Amino acid sequence: MLLRKLIRTMGRYRAQFISMVIMIALGVGTFVGFNVEWFSLERDVTEFLDDTGFADYRIIRETGFSEEDAAEIGAVDGVDAVSRVLTLKTLVSGTSDVLSLCVTENEKVSGVLVTSGESYDRDDGDGFWVSDRYAEANGVKIGDRVSLTYKDLTIEGTVRGLVKSGEYLICIPDETQLMPDYDTYGFAYASPAMVRRVLGAEFYTSLNVLSDLPKDEFTEKADRALGETLLIVSRDDTVSYSEAMGESKEGKTMALILPVLFLAIAVLTMVTTMHRLTASEKTQIGTLKSLGFTDRRILRHYSFYAGAVGLLGIVLGVGLGWWLGWFIMNPGGSMGTYLDMPSWKLSAPLYVWITLIVMELFLLLIGFLSVKSMLRGTAADALRPYTPKKVRSIILERTALWDKLGFGTKWNLRDVLRHKARSFMTLFGVIGCMVLIVAAMGMEDTMDEFMDSFYGEAINYETKINLDSETTDREGAREIAALYSGDTCASLSVQTGGRSVMLEIYNMTHDTVRFLDRKGNRVPIPDDGVLICERIARDDSLGEGDEMIFSPFGSDKEYRVRIRGVVRSLTESVIMSEEYADGIGLPFAVNAVYTGERDIARDSRILNTQSKQNVVDSFDTFMEIMTLMIWLLIAAAAILGVVVLYNLGVMSYTERYREMATLKVIGFRDGKIGRLLVGQNMMLTVLGIVIGIPAGIGVLKYLLVALASEYELKLALTWRTFAVSVALILGVSLLVSLMIARKNKKIDMVEALKGRD
Amino acid sequence: MALVEFRNVSRIYKVGDHEQKALDSVDLSLEKGKMVVILGPSGAGKSTLLNLLGGLDSPTSGTITVDGTDISTLGRDELAGYRAEKVGFVFQSYNLIPTLTVMENVALVREIAPDALNVMEMLDAVGLSDHAKKFPTELSGGEQQRVSIARALAKNPEILLCDEPTGALDSETGTVVLKVLMNMAKKYGKTIIIVTHNQNIAKVADVVVRVKNGRIRSVEEQAEPTPVEEVEW
Repeated sequence: MLLRKLIRTMGRYRAQFISMVIMIALGVGTFVGFNVEWFSLERDVTEFLDDTGFADYRIIRETGFSEEDAAEIGAVDGVDAVSRVLTLKTLVSGTSDVLSLCVTENEKVSGVLVTSGESYDRDDGDGFWVSDRYAEANGVKIGDRVSLTYKDLTIEGTVRGLVKSGEYLICIPDETQLMPDYDTYGFAYASPAMVRRVLGAEFYTSLNVLSDLPKDEFTEKADRALGETLLIVSRDDTVSYSEAMGESKEGKTMALILPVLFLAIAVLTMVTTMHRLTASEKTQIGTLKSLGFTDRRILRHYSFYAGAVGLLGIVLGVGLGWWLGWFIMNPGGSMGTYLDMPSWKLSAPLYVWITLIVMELFLLLIGFLSVKSMLRGTAADALRPYTPKKVRSIILERTALWDKLGFGTKWNLRDVLRHKARSFMTLFGVIGCMVLIVAAMGMEDTMDEFMDSFYGEAINYETKINLDSETTDREGAREIAALYSGDTCASLSVQTGGRSVMLEIYNMTHDTVRFLDRKGNRVPIPDDGVLICERIARDDSLGEGDEMIFSPFGSDKEYRVRIRGVVRSLTESVIMSEEYADGIGLPFAVNAVYTGERDIARDSRILNTQSKQNVVDSFDTFMEIMTLMIWLLIAAAAILGVVVLYNLGVMSYTERYREMATLKVIGFRDGKIGRLLVGQNMMLTVLGIVIGIPAGIGVLKYLLVALASEYELKLALTWRTFAVSVALILGVSLLVSLMIARKNKKIDMVEALKGRD
Repeated sequence: MALVEFRNVSRIYKVGDHEQKALDSVDLSLEKGKMVVILGPSGAGKSTLLNLLGGLDSPTSGTITVDGTDISTLGRDELAGYRAEKVGFVFQSYNLIPTLTVMENVALVREIAPDALNVMEMLDAVGLSDHAKKFPTELSGGEQQRVSIARALAKNPEILLCDEPTGALDSETGTVVLKVLMNMAKKYGKTIIIVTHNQNIAKVADVVVRVKNGRIRSVEEQAEPTPVEEVEW
């Protein structure tokens, strides 16, 4: 019988019931969703990288490694496997597509996972194993003849299989391009036998190593084994590994912020609602008690209600979370355009399940405690209706301002302070809503600003021509630069502050690349020092006027230079002029020309070209994903706002029912009473907005540091963000208030004002 | 012409499939400036009568004319306007706004009544000017009812409608409240209609209307009503 009562009670308080379930589902959904996302990502990526022997270390030497070198490294204690690897950026004949051609001597290291066709055969002198994503985008099939060119070499072969590789998890030509574009860029594997056939000799520029040794120890041992200072790139420095793990880290951050916000609101809503519910059920509780039901039975009855709400919310939330996880983490979804891996299994870490169980218990406890407070004392006490707290005068009343306030404002102000929990919840809901929208839209503004300053302002070239630095001397590079009215650039890896960064040496005469400081001002390349990027400045605590020391890889010489400015950069880099490089006696080889031209003629000195358009297009894909996420957040914020405001609005309406009936009897019109109700919500909404804007900016700042420190973003907020967020919240609040205010037409004056004890 | 005219007024409530006649073809006319007591057992229909007259409810059939206006045909907002200008209510359970002070509760009516009287004067008249800044919960039942009377009168209405105004009070306090009510009505020249099941209150009335089973049983004028001080219950 009690169960039947329970179900009817749920029906009676369905607005509260539904809103609590939605709040919990939203909270649990975001919590589960982002946790599923990062956890699955990390697991699937790690599994894939392990399966394809993603190298822990890459030792790089432009002049190549011998078999003996490989054996020396293989003999180092702590090295599990080693392979000589050659990677060439080749052009696909008849197109401008670039395929990164990879050859590994030992397929256990930096190997492939064949998705269709023949397995990798190191003795097949004619076989290509092509990226399945590139093949799909360009209609390449197994059995096709493919011709690749590298400098003057033509490498021909037959496609034997389609593959994926951990080394190309994120398949981008360099860091200026944010997203893969398989229409124009992919990878392929060939066998050592093919290298021997085409080159007539063995030539490998990298030793890829599987080892659990920490970087310092490995570096020391490898240097000793080969007797020189080596350029060693650890897995943390590779785009694929660091970006994939970065995504996972972003998920972890998101799993922390959003769910906490939603769950806090859900729990607070639960507390206030359960309290109100049991308060209005107080006489019923008393009746049950006087009928002879034990306290324990009654407690169980109402705790079960809270438990049922919690359980339903959690089950729906887990469903929502799984969908959210799938939405981000599926091969056809946003992550799928970024990462190229075979398995997209979803799973959640154990603590998610533990948290959910704890949460359910906590909700039960809330139900339990709310009833407990109503059961105190005798059956007669319990039978007495719940009386809300006494009204006290507020501080504001002692000021002169108070007398100037209209009666409605006074009524609302006192009501807000009388029902602190309810008001605080409304405020919290509005603030939460505001934070979400400001942070989401601010993120978009910030990315727009980033896009504008880099792709609109800093990148002033149309094409980057990559030169073969071995066959092109400085004069040759100048010739090409002159031919296309371009500027030359030499980039080389240098070591500074214990890590490797790019050193870019420009001979700038055509303004094709610009450097901008944080304020957006152009900073010219100095002739008496260097510019450094913000990351180096931040991580090494360096600034204008400071000195820094770097040394090129493969050289023991150290260079001490003066920093003349800090600029924003896509890559972690140090920038100087050719003149200055010559002045300090730094050897370098020009390897790129930036030009405003689009049509570049074939030339043996040119390796390949990269157009700005490709980079911008890939950025657009990135922005599309971002925009989608932002709209999801805004939708979540709107749902949050509507649910919280509606739930509390209904609560406020119920609590003030008698007061409104009185006003009605006195002669107040429905419209005027409606405006009073709307007024209170708007009052709290405006306050929420005032607090929410700075809070939103704060959260955005935190997000920028936590999610995107690798992009040197500058916090940007446009008036549109403020206008839209304020308008949206005011609109939602007004809409919900009007929905509730409309109810006052239905107030039954006679019924409401019947005498009570 | 009478101030209040009920012509063949019926009020039928539908409870599920069941029809309940709360008022059955009532004819009644009341003069201006009188003290009227509507007397009857519970369920007789006296509160329905009062609610219809106060514009809280509309008749199923018949017409109700107050001061020359047929209120049975008024719309929601017009009825609200009528309540604001013509009638003042006093309830058994006071129905003060808990979040407003005594003074603010009375001043409330200034928002809607065009001819509202001075608030402090009203509080003075019910002897509560010292409690102006207190909240209703800080007052006794009798004091709260006096605030409610001050609020009803502050609108400067034609008629004061009181539904068991002493129902929740002890005899002594009830007498005080009733006295205040009558003094105020006399001072400001108002018509008072009190609904009660208490026979003793009827002694103070100019006119006693007896109601039973939704019909008017009798309407009697009392030439010499008993002074309030002498009434006990």
